[in-house]
Amino acid sequence: MSTIASFGFWSFVGIVAGIYTLFALGVQVQFGFAGLLNFGHVAFMGIGAYTMAILVVKEDLNMWVAAGCGVALAMLAGVLLGLPTLRLRADYFAITTIAFSEILRYVATNEDRLTGGSQGTINLAGIGRTAQYDGAWQSFLGKVERGLNVSGDVATLILVWSVAALAVGAVSLVMRTPWGRVLKAIREDEDAVASLGKNVFAYKLQALAVGAALGAVAGLFYAWQFSFFSPDDFAPLLTFFAWMIVILGGLGRAWTVPVGAIVFGVIFAGTRFFDFPPFSLLDSTERAYVRLIVIGLVIIGLMLFRPQGIFGSREEMVLE
Amino acid sequence: MNAPILEVREVTCSFGGLRAVDRASLDVEPGSITALIGPNGAGKSTLFNVVSGFLAADRGTVRFEGRRIDRSAPHRIARFGLVRTFQVPRALTRLSVLDNVLLAASGHPGERLSGLLLRPGRVRARERKARERATELLELVRLESHAGDYAGVLSGGERKLLDFARVLMAGPRLVLLDEPMAGVSPTLGRQLVEHALGLRADLGMTFLFVEHDLDMVMEASDRVIVMNEGRVIASGAPADVRADERVVDAYLGTTLSL
Repeated sequence: MSTIASFGFWSFVGIVAGIYTLFALGVQVQFGFAGLLNFGHVAFMGIGAYTMAILVVKEDLNMWVAAGCGVALAMLAGVLLGLPTLRLRADYFAITTIAFSEILRYVATNEDRLTGGSQGTINLAGIGRTAQYDGAWQSFLGKVERGLNVSGDVATLILVWSVAALAVGAVSLVMRTPWGRVLKAIREDEDAVASLGKNVFAYKLQALAVGAALGAVAGLFYAWQFSFFSPDDFAPLLTFFAWMIVILGGLGRAWTVPVGAIVFGVIFAGTRFFDFPPFSLLDSTERAYVRLIVIGLVIIGLMLFRPQGIFGSREEMVLE
Repeated sequence: MNAPILEVREVTCSFGGLRAVDRASLDVEPGSITALIGPNGAGKSTLFNVVSGFLAADRGTVRFEGRRIDRSAPHRIARFGLVRTFQVPRALTRLSVLDNVLLAASGHPGERLSGLLLRPGRVRARERKARERATELLELVRLESHAGDYAGVLSGGERKLLDFARVLMAGPRLVLLDEPMAGVSPTLGRQLVEHALGLRADLGMTFLFVEHDLDMVMEASDRVIVMNEGRVIASGAPADVRADERVVDAYLGTTLSL
């Protein structure tokens, strides 16, 4: 059976799309709602994943507690990143955030005693002793498998998408509250919002922290799904995948994120395995590059014909 | 005379070599409707920006109800009870007209994440009250039929009215209006002035406004402050200011019809 038709392949695509949904939802909160150009979002994913893995392997902490610590630390990092930088103009803020994520990646690569270095989490317990942080996840997954009588992939798929759906729902709800109203108003004109007595800076910090928490949760699932990761998994490219997803789906709405993530996931993972013409003319390595071209073309096409994204609002797009 | 609600003392604010405001001092009496007039470039808008905290003065002090505010952030000043509008209206275009007004509700527990989680009942009650008030204000400025529309579809004049409704929603004690009547029909403008007079009578609200329509200034205000080239050159009752030679000089060449 060809890969493209196999269920295992599509459930993998589904799991990745679910992780991307959580990850990109953070960008939607920060940019789509609060207008913050965060180009270092991947750092929060890395902080979530690494904190959890390190605390489990080195401190022998309960994995779920460690996961909570990962999310909390990512939120703290969001606040610490925001404190000195949020007063900068949007474009300067964007540059600092990308530097932030790269600095963290380099630190993770070089601090091998803390992180396992460039070899990744396999070295967390020291060279030669294979470290494992996801024992609790595997046994939990096993219970879900038996309980629902499904395969491991399907169990992961269900878990990722349950959390993603909860997160999308929660963000949708919160954006309809007065808190969300202030956030959207800041995106429109922060001086006007300040003139009405709202502490714009505090709201931006909160948006950063909420987005960071979502990024960290995505990082946890990433760590559990792949059982092993290294600093290079958290390169800036991943941040831009999240941006592509948000733009594909449409800005300023929570439920467009899973749509963007699924479209992105199918194009990105799918094109690699498309074994019908014209893709069959290329070998799989070549196809791996073709998918980037395909995504680029889709985004260019979208910007030309549907700049608001698949489900964004054209009406909102043209307002001045 | 009561203690002034707003006291500006020797405020200087320069941009590079240009002194936009040059040792300006003025008082605004509580419960007054004070007009700030002067030719283009006199420094009126810059002074507004200093008073509301959007620009830092190089020198001088600003007091609101006796409290120094010249080093306070704009949102702090707004919370003290001094709220402004902008010369170019700041409609939040991708929010509904109603949401634009609701945003100005002060002390709303639903604007805190903790309030949303811990006191959902209070949030709902406050939101209901805010909606009632916002709807009233939209009716006042005749925008109620646009309540559900994006603010971005409003015309320039309608955006001025939206700003006016929003600033009243914030419930301030001193309102700074930067050219509130620009682009607003004279009939509606007159109604807004009447409403402002009512708010002053009922709530003791004070108004300081910049306006170019001098007929409106003479009719609506009980005190006029005149600026020219960054300085305050005259202040007093409208009739006195109209007779002041320095004021006539400042306006010479601009066909003054006082």
